[in-house]
Amino acid sequence: MERFEPDMTAGQRLIDMVDVGVFAVDRALCVRSWNAFMVAHSGLGRQAAIGRSIFDLFSDLPRGWLEKKFERVFALGAPSFTSWEQRPWLFRIPHNRPITGGVDCMQQDTRFIPLKDEHGEAVLVLVCVFDVTDAALLHRRLAETVSALEAERSEQQTLIARLAEAQEQLIQSEKLAAIGQLAAGVAHEINNPVGFVMSNFGALERYIERAFALIAAYDRQLDQLPPAVQADMAQMKADIDYDFMADDARSLVAESRDGLERVKRIVSDLRDFSRVGETEWQWASLHNCLDSTLNVVMNEIKYKAQVVKDYGDLPQIECMPFQLNQVFLNLLVNAAHAIDGQGAITLRTRLEGDSVVVQFSDTGCGMPPEVVKRIFDPFFTTKPVGKGTGLGLSVTHSIVGRHRGSIAVDSTPGQGTTFTLRLPLRQTSA
Amino acid sequence: MSLNLLTEEQNEALQEIANIGMGRAGRSIAGVFDEFVELSVPRVREAGLDRLPAAVADLIPDETLTAVRQGFFGRVRGEAIVVFGITGCRDLAGLMGYGSALEDCEEDELLLDVSNVIVSACLGGIAEQLNADVCFSAPSVLASHVPPAGLFDRTSAAPADTGALIVEVNFRLERHSFACSLLMMLPADSMGAIRRALDDFLANF
Ligand SMILES: Nc1ncnc2c1ncn2[C@@H]1O[C@H](COP(=O)(O)OP(=O)(O)O)[C@@H](O)[C@H]1O
Ligand SMILES: [Mg+2]
Repeated sequence: MERFEPDMTAGQRLIDMVDVGVFAVDRALCVRSWNAFMVAHSGLGRQAAIGRSIFDLFSDLPRGWLEKKFERVFALGAPSFTSWEQRPWLFRIPHNRPITGGVDCMQQDTRFIPLKDEHGEAVLVLVCVFDVTDAALLHRRLAETVSALEAERSEQQTLIARLAEAQEQLIQSEKLAAIGQLAAGVAHEINNPVGFVMSNFGALERYIERAFALIAAYDRQLDQLPPAVQADMAQMKADIDYDFMADDARSLVAESRDGLERVKRIVSDLRDFSRVGETEWQWASLHNCLDSTLNVVMNEIKYKAQVVKDYGDLPQIECMPFQLNQVFLNLLVNAAHAIDGQGAITLRTRLEGDSVVVQFSDTGCGMPPEVVKRIFDPFFTTKPVGKGTGLGLSVTHSIVGRHRGSIAVDSTPGQGTTFTLRLPLRQTSA
Repeated sequence: MSLNLLTEEQNEALQEIANIGMGRAGRSIAGVFDEFVELSVPRVREAGLDRLPAAVADLIPDETLTAVRQGFFGRVRGEAIVVFGITGCRDLAGLMGYGSALEDCEEDELLLDVSNVIVSACLGGIAEQLNADVCFSAPSVLASHVPPAGLFDRTSAAPADTGALIVEVNFRLERHSFACSLLMMLPADSMGAIRRALDDFLANF
């Protein structure tokens, strides 16, 4: 172990030559020697430094902590250390990279080495300050690169997961497209028989009316017949409960006609709705689109929400009706999902200048701002697996974009949500 | 688990030296902490490098351990490892001059500071008995919060015949709870030096 010699001139010269900051302090933590490195880097000459407390020379030293550290070195007679990794610098000294460094002062490792007298008592502590700025910078840049790589890696992993989800979704939408095609085919097949049943039924209705009219005419001539025949007829009418039958036949016919009308409407809605892959611009009535979509999803809505229509006067607009149906479907289903128990969904349409405005308001759970911010992101969903895919609104957003329209949302947690669609009347460049 | 790194006589000598050395170390540490230090009687054991994790797991029952290593050199060259349990030595922050709310890098620095005190006191105590000077390299964190098996992961490149003399000491302070164990590890090519040092000690006895 180093011994303290009163005559340090030879040693001092050697210590001056090393590229390490070296200075000695006594028990009062006053500087007793100060090498050339310290003079050059701290800007304090020997005269200025020697005899002064290190806390005067470096005003931002962590005093209590450092005093304890020195105490231990004196008490144990064993060295102590600091490393830039935990404590980038202890003594605020400028470093040799003022331009290219990017750190505020010299990064350093330090050693506190006890200097003992002939009795083995530590009388001075030699402080060595190693400039590790270059290594520290390199290390830090490396660490930054590693963490950037790690971030990239985890991003890639989420991307891979999303890709898998997207593939799943693709399969799902392939299925939906197939079902749509099937539905369109079935609707077409049903449409023909329903058509001729309807026209046959019209003829049948007329024939029945005429047959009843004929019987009524006979009835008016009944008193012309012999009494025995009259009695027979009366008996026969009573046996078949003619009055009831005549009445019931008319209401059966009316009910059946009603049923047929409904079949016809559902078939035509289904056909409208499932015109898969239709990407032709055409002039269509938004009200028809809304109504046919409503019919398709009514089953999902009717037990939860009353649907209020507040339709304005709208001209036809140039659009892709099948795609808009998909938009309306998403918005209606989301509204129904948001309603817990009983509520209302209001559809409002207006003409405003060159565009039409369609509003979907629900009395559902609403959304906090941090959810609203993300609803148009693909795969963002707050719904359990199986119920939500998080694609509805992102698809909606892109369809509306394709129509050069806009979609806005206004939501209050606990009160409800309003989606406002704005679509131009015509697609100028289309 | 004896590797016969030392003869029985040498082993007894080391045990004796450790006893006296730790007594001195205890007094120095007590002076530093200004608090009575309870030191267990040091237990000297031998373990091959492959048996180290098991040996350490024996010492401290915690599931995750933190270890600080520090090189020493002089007549005998090797590494000292201080192993802390799950709470590290947070309880000593005040004694070592740290504030009460430790940040992550401060927690590491505190570990290094405490290890440095323990290593220099204990090895200094032993070196004194052997009449040898000992110097120390800066301590560094070997592994933090890992299961015992992970402590020496990065040591696997060490020569297979590296033996460790484990000097196990448990520390307790009167008013603070913390436990750690000290391992003194000597590489194979240092065994000759320690044997000679022990033989010298025996000769002067
Ligand atoms: N009307 C609404 N009321 C409350 N939250 C809604 C409403 N519409 C959409 N959201 C929220 O936006 C999220 C994304 O919707 P969407 O893209 O359609 O995906 P999904 O319906 O599959 O979850 C939903 O999970 C829900 O949290
Ligand atoms: Mg949805």
